[in-house]
Amino acid sequence: MAYADGELDPAARAALEAAMAADPGLARRVARHQALRARLRAALDPVLDEPLPQRLLESVRGAAAPRPAAKVIPLKRPAAPRWSWPQLGALAASLVLGALLGPLVLHPPAGGGAVITRAGEMLAGGALARALTEELASNQTPGSPVEIGVSFRARDGGYCRSFQLREEQALAGVACREHDVWRLEVLAQSPAQPPAAGGYRPAATALPPSVARTLDELRAGEALDASAEAAARAHGWER
Amino acid sequence: MSAAPQALREALVALLPRLRRFARALARDVHDADDLVQIAVERALTRSGQLRPDAPLSSWMFGIVRNAWLDELRARGRRARVFAPEESAERVGDASQGAHAETLAVQDALARLPEAQCEAVALVLIEGFSYKEAAHIMEVPIGTLTSRLARGREALQEMLDESGGTRR
Repeated sequence: MAYADGELDPAARAALEAAMAADPGLARRVARHQALRARLRAALDPVLDEPLPQRLLESVRGAAAPRPAAKVIPLKRPAAPRWSWPQLGALAASLVLGALLGPLVLHPPAGGGAVITRAGEMLAGGALARALTEELASNQTPGSPVEIGVSFRARDGGYCRSFQLREEQALAGVACREHDVWRLEVLAQSPAQPPAAGGYRPAATALPPSVARTLDELRAGEALDASAEAAARAHGWER
Repeated sequence: MSAAPQALREALVALLPRLRRFARALARDVHDADDLVQIAVERALTRSGQLRPDAPLSSWMFGIVRNAWLDELRARGRRARVFAPEESAERVGDASQGAHAETLAVQDALARLPEAQCEAVALVLIEGFSYKEAAHIMEVPIGTLTSRLARGREALQEMLDESGGTRR
C-alpha cells in the first residue's frame, strides 16, 4: 500500500485521502496497513534501546574481538582485515547517518565533540550546539566553524535548523530543538566541492541529498525570515 | 591512524542499533542476529572500496546484512525456518508475559514468512526504507519488491489477526 508506506506524492496522497473519505472500506484497509506497521515497530523498536554488545563495538572499532561461535553461524569469514586508507576514505566521504540511531559515541573529525549522544539519541554538542542556539542564519559570525543554513518550524511545531560544519570533512545535517537540546535528525558528509571564494557555499546547493530530503520531510512551511528567527532565538527555540 | 576510517567506524557504530533491529527481524534469535551483524560489519570494513561515493552508507550496510543472512540460510539448509513454527507455539502460549509475548508473536509471524517477503517487510515497514531503497538493497526491481511486500503484509496480517487478535 503505497499510501500507508508514505510513497505517494502530495497530489496523489490528497486524491487518495479524498477517496478514503468517500469509501469507508478503503479507509479501513489503509488503517489496517498502518496498524500492522505500528505493531511491527512496537515489537522490534525496543532493540534500538538495548545496550550494544561489547563484541560488536569491538568489531567496528577494530579491537581484537572474539569471533562468533562458528557452530552458530557457519559463514565463511574473510581473512584478517587489511585496511586500505584511501578506500576507507572514499567510503567515509559518503557516509550517511540515519536519524534516531540509538546509543553511540560519535566523534567526527570535523568539529570533535560536535555530536554527542545521550539516552540513545544523537545530539549537538560543543561548537555546534552553541552555534545552533546563538547564531542567526541571516547574520552569522564570520569564521564560525558552523554555518547555519535555514531555520524552520517542523510539522510538530518545534524549531529545526540545517547546518554545515566548515571543516575539511564537511558534515551537514538538520537539528531540531527538543527539551533544551538540539537533536540531530540527520547527519551526512557533504559532497566534495571546490571551495568558492572566501569559503562561502550556498547552503541550498551544498546539502547532501539525504539532508535535503530530511529537511523537506520535516519542514512545515517556509524558512523563518530574519525577524521570526530572532524571535525564536529570544524564546530559546522553544515551541 | 588517519581521520577518515575513524569516521567510518563511528558511522558504523551509529548504525548498529538499526542493523541489530533489522537482523532481529530476519534471524529472530538475539545471538544469531548479533552474529549476523558482526559478520556484516567485518565484511563492510574489508569491502569498503565497493561503496560508491554517492551511495548512502545505510543502504549499503543493510544490503551486506541481508546478503550475509542469505548465506547463512543456505549454510543452515533452512533448519531454523523449519522448526520455528513449533517452537513459537509453546512460547506464544504464555500470554502472561504481555508485551514480551506480543514481541514473540510478531517475530514468530515474521519468521514464518518466506524469506523474500520477510526482507521486504523488515526493510519497508520496520526500517522505513522507501520502495526504491528497499528494492536496491534487495537487488530486485521495484515491482518485485512491492509484490513481495504486499504478499508479506497480507500473510502477516492473517497470522497476527489469529494470534494477537483473539488474545486481547
